[in-house]
Amino acid sequence: MILRTPAPKRARPIEPAPIIESPPVGSDHRQLAIYEDPSSAGPARREPSQQSEHMLCTYQCRQMVKADFLDALSNAEKQVQDYQSKLAELNDNFGKADEERKTFREKLSYVEQELAAAKGREQALHDQLLKEVNDSHERLKKELELSAKLQAKLENEQNLRKKAESTAAAAEDKAKELEAKLGHISKSIEKEKKRFNNELAQLNRDSKFSITKITVDLEKMEFRAKSSEQEVELLRKQQEDLQSKFSECLHQKSELEKRLTSLSFEDDSPKESDILVKHLQEELRNYESEVREARKLKSAHDSIELMKEKLLEEKSRRERVELQLPKLQEYELKINKLEDELSAWKLMIQDIPGVSCCDDVPLRISALQKEVIDNLKKLGEVNAHLKQMQVVLDKTQLDKQKTETEAALAKEKADRLEAEVKRMNLMLSAVSEERNMLKIAIEDFKSKNEQAGGHASSSALQELESSLLKREPYIKELEGDLFAQKDINTRQQDEIKSLHDRLNSEARKVKSLERESDRLRSEIFLLESKLGHGDFSAANTKVLRMVNTLAVGNDAKQTIEALQSELQRTKEKLQALEEYKSQSGNSGKLVDSYMSGKVAQLKEQIATLEKREERYKTVFADRISVFRRACCELFGYKIVMDERQRPNGIPVTRFTLQSIYAMNDDEKLEFEYESGNTNIVENGYTSTSEISQQVDIFVRKMNSIPAFTANLTVESFNRRTLS
Amino acid sequence: MASKTAAKDIITLRGSAAIVSEFFGYAANSILYNRAVYPEESFARVKKYGLPMLLTKDEGVKSFISNLNAQLSEWLEAGKLQRVVLVIMSMNTGEVLERWNFSIETDNEVVEKGVSREKSDKEIMREIQAIMRQIASSITYLPCLDEQCVFDVLAYTDTDVAVPFTWMESSDAKLIANPQMVKLHSFDTKIHKVNTLVSYKNDEEELDDEE
Repeated sequence: MILRTPAPKRARPIEPAPIIESPPVGSDHRQLAIYEDPSSAGPARREPSQQSEHMLCTYQCRQMVKADFLDALSNAEKQVQDYQSKLAELNDNFGKADEERKTFREKLSYVEQELAAAKGREQALHDQLLKEVNDSHERLKKELELSAKLQAKLENEQNLRKKAESTAAAAEDKAKELEAKLGHISKSIEKEKKRFNNELAQLNRDSKFSITKITVDLEKMEFRAKSSEQEVELLRKQQEDLQSKFSECLHQKSELEKRLTSLSFEDDSPKESDILVKHLQEELRNYESEVREARKLKSAHDSIELMKEKLLEEKSRRERVELQLPKLQEYELKINKLEDELSAWKLMIQDIPGVSCCDDVPLRISALQKEVIDNLKKLGEVNAHLKQMQVVLDKTQLDKQKTETEAALAKEKADRLEAEVKRMNLMLSAVSEERNMLKIAIEDFKSKNEQAGGHASSSALQELESSLLKREPYIKELEGDLFAQKDINTRQQDEIKSLHDRLNSEARKVKSLERESDRLRSEIFLLESKLGHGDFSAANTKVLRMVNTLAVGNDAKQTIEALQSELQRTKEKLQALEEYKSQSGNSGKLVDSYMSGKVAQLKEQIATLEKREERYKTVFADRISVFRRACCELFGYKIVMDERQRPNGIPVTRFTLQSIYAMNDDEKLEFEYESGNTNIVENGYTSTSEISQQVDIFVRKMNSIPAFTANLTVESFNRRTLS
Repeated sequence: MASKTAAKDIITLRGSAAIVSEFFGYAANSILYNRAVYPEESFARVKKYGLPMLLTKDEGVKSFISNLNAQLSEWLEAGKLQRVVLVIMSMNTGEVLERWNFSIETDNEVVEKGVSREKSDKEIMREIQAIMRQIASSITYLPCLDEQCVFDVLAYTDTDVAVPFTWMESSDAKLIANPQMVKLHSFDTKIHKVNTLVSYKNDEEELDDEE
């Protein structure tokens, strides 16, 4: 151990002279010259001279030792100085190392702080991430719930819409059907009216024709009467002649009888007179028979002519009846059709809910129209709501997608942060290892510095430098890895974004495909329903059915057979009449019986035909009245039809309509019908403000007289019910 | 016609047309019996398709159906027949109550080229048997026909078909408004595929009206 200051000198007793020792080998090769330095001798006690030589020796030894000691001292001092300089250097180095240590400590602390801050940030980020993830989860859940609710709402709305559409379609169909039926009925009514007009005209013509015929017949009859009178006169004259002849003959007979009686008295040959009488009697009888025959012939002639006339009449009647028979059949068919239509109309009225009688039909139609309008409004509102819901759905889906992407991004951030944290942890661990190493190095340096001066500090410094140098490439490597990781991360993020975009597009494609599949399924269902319903395309398909179907059946066959038998009978009758015509000049008796039979048959036929005609007329009149009453009850108007002529000679049919709900008799509507066109005629009632307004709207603008009349009916009904 | 080979029989166009038209005849009779269009006593029992089938004894209906089958067979051989519909209507009102729809898909290659196909006769009979059973069981879900009914047959053909003398083109396809539909089984001869469907008037509307 090197002492810094020599120990204080002790006051030594006089001792024998110290043993002079030879100086050490390493020291100065000076011989010890012991001299006493008066100053240094100090309080050295002088021994006696005897002891002076001894003392001189020892003094010399001492001087030598002193010199040696001084040399050693100086050397030591030099060494000490050297050591001190070295120490100073070492201290400087130590200071430097200390500063470096401090800087490292600061760096450490900075790094630790950074670590702590990073940890805190990481924790905060983690917490934030967790919060965000939780928030996004919650949002996702909420969004999912919302979307589920919205989907349920959408489905409900769609169902409602479908129901509303179906009800609207059904109502529209019903309304259309009703309108079509109404139109059909109105058309049929117009047709019937036309037909009835035609029939009326025809009946008029027929009546005129029959009147002319009757006049002609009258004239004929008059002519015949005249001719018969003439014939009667002729016959009377003949009769008078015959009577005169007869009277002459009687007179002759009486004269002859007288002669005979006179002769009988005179002559006994009565035979010639008897013969004469007999002959005369026979002649008389012949005359009588001839007269009778003439009378018979006359009567037969009269009857023949009458029969001829009757034949002609009956032929004409038969022709007329035959002509009218198909018409009657047509009338019957039409009546049946009308009855069927009426029954169908009644059934339809029964089928229509809320309608108990014909008056309720326009009200029901107006109510249905209002319902249709309301339903259409509701449909529109539902559609608008649906669209809004769809927009909201789309928004929520977009938000959902956004949140999903945000969640994915947050996850990525979290992953990245975790990776960073790991990296930081690794860095921390590496730094802490370095710190430990540095600590160890510092401690080593300290110990080394304490032990061996400057060697340890230089080695520690070198170690520090080497460690620093080692760290730098490591740091560079880490930085390079960081950059590479960053690049990889950005690339991965870009890939993830592109994958997300692709995912979204694929999801959209999937949705569109699903929508298409739903649409196709609905189309398939519609087509299957149409197939089941029996719809077909007229371009590709035609519907055929067998003519002699069993559904028509026995009734038609029977009617056909009856008609055929009637035809045969009339043909036989015609043949018989023709034969009779050809045979009329031959035998009177055959003619009489045949003609009487034929006359009876014809009379019976005439009677039956006339009865049938009257029955048809009554049935027709009944049906017309029923039809008119039905029209009145169904449409609420009493219709009176007139045929007039315009000043230019064109015939025009005028219809006067009076509502059954009219408050007074002046409330009448007049229409003119001409060649398919119906025009309203202005009168006092239609020129009032209310009615003229309605006429303008419904008739002039919308060109719909049924709408006008229906509206008027409803208004007058409301007025009536309110009053 | 069909000649038996090991597992499958050869089916020609004529044979397939005969099978389908025969099926229609028996199906029509079965429908008329099950829906009581004609009284029970006017039907006679025969064995066909492995089942006891009922055929009408009424000469009019018999001749009607036989004439119909002949014409259908002709159209099937020409590949012109698209559908056959048996319509049941009310006699009084003429309202269509049921439509038995037999739609036919024809393999045009067979019609054009005259090739034949292979299918087991037993398999075809089994398929037809299933349809006949379904027709017989249809009374469980079809509404009761309380009134007197008549039937008619409509044939949906291609537009270029010449209308025979005893047939006429009808503009009225005798449709039912808002019908209920039940799809039955189908059978396939590999040349003609027949799908059966019955549509009937919705009974619920009548019940609602009555309520």
